[in-house]
Amino acid sequence: MKKWLLFIVTLIFGLVLTACSSGGEEAAGEQNEQEENGDQVTLRMSWWGSQSRHDQTQEIIKKFEDEYPNINIQAEFTGFDGYFEKMAASAAGNNLPDIMQQNFGEYLNQYADKDLLADLTEFVDSGAIDVEGVSDTIMESGKKNGKLLGIPTGTNALTAFYNKDMLEEVGVEAPSEDWTWEQYKELAKQVHEETGKFGTRLMEPKNLFEYYLREKGYKLFNEDGTALGYDDDKLLEDYFKMNLDMVEAGVAPGYDVIQQIKGVEDELIVHGEAPFDFRWSNQATALASAAGDKQIEMTLLPGENNEQGMYLKPAMLWSISENSKHKEEAAKFINFFTNNIEVYKIGGSDRGVPIKAEIREQMQADLSETDKKVFEYIELVTENSSPIDSNFPPASSEILAKLEQVDEQVMYGQLTPKEGAKEFRSMAEDILSRE
Amino acid sequence: MIPERQEQEHEHDYHEVKPKKQGKKRGRKKIESDVNNVAGYGFISPFLIGFFALTLFPILYSFYLSFTDYDLMGQPEWIGLDNYVRMFTQDQTFWEAMKVTFFYAGVAVPIRLVFALLVALALNKIVEMVGLYRTLLYLPSVVGGSIAVSIMWRQLFGNDGAVNSILSSLGLPTHAWLGDPDTAIWTLIVLYGWQFGSSMLIFLAGLRNIPKTYYEASSVDGAGPLKQFFIITLPLLTPVILFNTVMQVIQGFMAFTPSFVVTNGGPVNSTLLYVLYMYRRAFEYFEMGYASAMAWVMLVIIAIFTALIFKSSPHWVHYESESK
Repeated sequence: MKKWLLFIVTLIFGLVLTACSSGGEEAAGEQNEQEENGDQVTLRMSWWGSQSRHDQTQEIIKKFEDEYPNINIQAEFTGFDGYFEKMAASAAGNNLPDIMQQNFGEYLNQYADKDLLADLTEFVDSGAIDVEGVSDTIMESGKKNGKLLGIPTGTNALTAFYNKDMLEEVGVEAPSEDWTWEQYKELAKQVHEETGKFGTRLMEPKNLFEYYLREKGYKLFNEDGTALGYDDDKLLEDYFKMNLDMVEAGVAPGYDVIQQIKGVEDELIVHGEAPFDFRWSNQATALASAAGDKQIEMTLLPGENNEQGMYLKPAMLWSISENSKHKEEAAKFINFFTNNIEVYKIGGSDRGVPIKAEIREQMQADLSETDKKVFEYIELVTENSSPIDSNFPPASSEILAKLEQVDEQVMYGQLTPKEGAKEFRSMAEDILSRE
Repeated sequence: MIPERQEQEHEHDYHEVKPKKQGKKRGRKKIESDVNNVAGYGFISPFLIGFFALTLFPILYSFYLSFTDYDLMGQPEWIGLDNYVRMFTQDQTFWEAMKVTFFYAGVAVPIRLVFALLVALALNKIVEMVGLYRTLLYLPSVVGGSIAVSIMWRQLFGNDGAVNSILSSLGLPTHAWLGDPDTAIWTLIVLYGWQFGSSMLIFLAGLRNIPKTYYEASSVDGAGPLKQFFIITLPLLTPVILFNTVMQVIQGFMAFTPSFVVTNGGPVNSTLLYVLYMYRRAFEYFEMGYASAMAWVMLVIIAIFTALIFKSSPHWVHYESESK
């Protein structure tokens, strides 16, 4: 008896489902006639990010699929850790996703070197990807060896975040745009002495030593990426020393504290444990929402020549893999992402500030408080910055990992700043000489 | 695979009188049996295909790759012994990882074995609800290699973790367990020791196999429990100890998940286990050839250790069958 019932229920259910789905297809066909003859295309798409980005991106994909019913997008996403390892394995199997979120710098160069990414120039020329009016410097960041390998998802810049409440509590003035390293150290020290909390967060060396070099008029790598771009080890020594002094004085936390931080939501500035934090501008929303009602403000990084050190960076890029069989359709998605206001209504500035002026203007009306600050900040950086360095050699991911390692050794007191600076140079030269 | 092969050799050592196989008569009968075997081969083909395609071929291919410069995406390029030379003469991190791994295996394996044996001895005495205890103690090993346990470990030993909370509630000083290069490796060693379940079960089975009559006879002669342990239990358990040691040494050298998840090799490479470094070479720096060479070096090291353990076994392993 029960079996019969089950059978009938299944049958009805099945019939209803089939009816629904065929109905859906018809409706879609009417909506978009030219697509009707085309077969269904499934694209694979990958990105890294936080949970909020995963949710937003899936919503964006749904919007895209509504508009292009013949395209199905299969999402593959992870956190940043492990993302490029996974992509490397896919690349080895000639199986990269059709659309991939790509990172500027060492990763883009690595992929460019191996011809794994499709040249998007033809799609831009044909107008399939509309980047009309996007500034050249931004487009330039997706180019390598004369090929356009990625369309930036948005613009980013290094930012000095500060907790205004904490500074007010101590009675010191908030930093202005033209603050120096000396002032930064002084402020941090004051906060530490007054509150007993940390005065700043320990800087991570990958991006900040590069900024430090740029601010002093040097580059991390030389023009053709065959050697380090600075000759005097004193530069790195000074950088190490500045941080080490603060760690030893208790003004900045050591790595034993830093290592415990898992994700932006967990940062010291969020918990009111330190007033300063240097990171990328697109993380403002995550920081602000985790910090609750604390006033988190943004300004340029310290340094006398900070307009020379600051730069705009593509937050990340959308690329199409060379092995993709559906480059046209993949281009449609990138075009959709770049030009559709809906995308940014969902995603905000999570992938950076939109590269198109029209989109930015359309967004102005209903920006959140934080997004407004980010937009203003990016404008400030645009006026006070110099072009980004794109001369990172393919081995730079290994070299930057070495820099992190040496930085740890110095902060743990296993090497002096001077030894550390020397050690980093010899390690970097070893790696570069292998290329 | 090595221990199995070694074990066979080793058995040969002890059973010197092997029954010699009779030379098979070739001819019609042989052909017939081949035809009859087709069905048999058909049935084991899933295993055969799996073995050749997923085990043997990758092993041999990785051996080939270890002599090449292969970045995963392009074509492997033959460079002879360069990977090996670079590993031994230029790569500081390789030696660091090697040192960490030897320390880890050298300390964690004995701790796990001793712990497993003690718990097995205790369980052997318990009569009621032994199944429940066995299951509970085995659980950490079931979920053992998993990411979840490692993440839990990270939480436990974190600065605000349970371990520090307990310490501070007892009025003891807290410590940045994972953040201190001197203590981080110890948290991994404790994690390894804690997952003693499978060795414990094997010990337990070994203990159950020791005839009760020996204990009865010895207690009649006036031997106490401690003496009984050293003159009866331990000697009769040595074959099981041998097996467990070999298995655990191999596992110890190949550990990956804990250092990857709990500490990610840090701080300052103090927990950079060999396999984690190999993984980084392969998938972070795209040097699959180099990583393959590292894998083969580890294989040789494990083979040497296993061989040494077997070579030493005649001096300390006792088989009941021999003493007859």
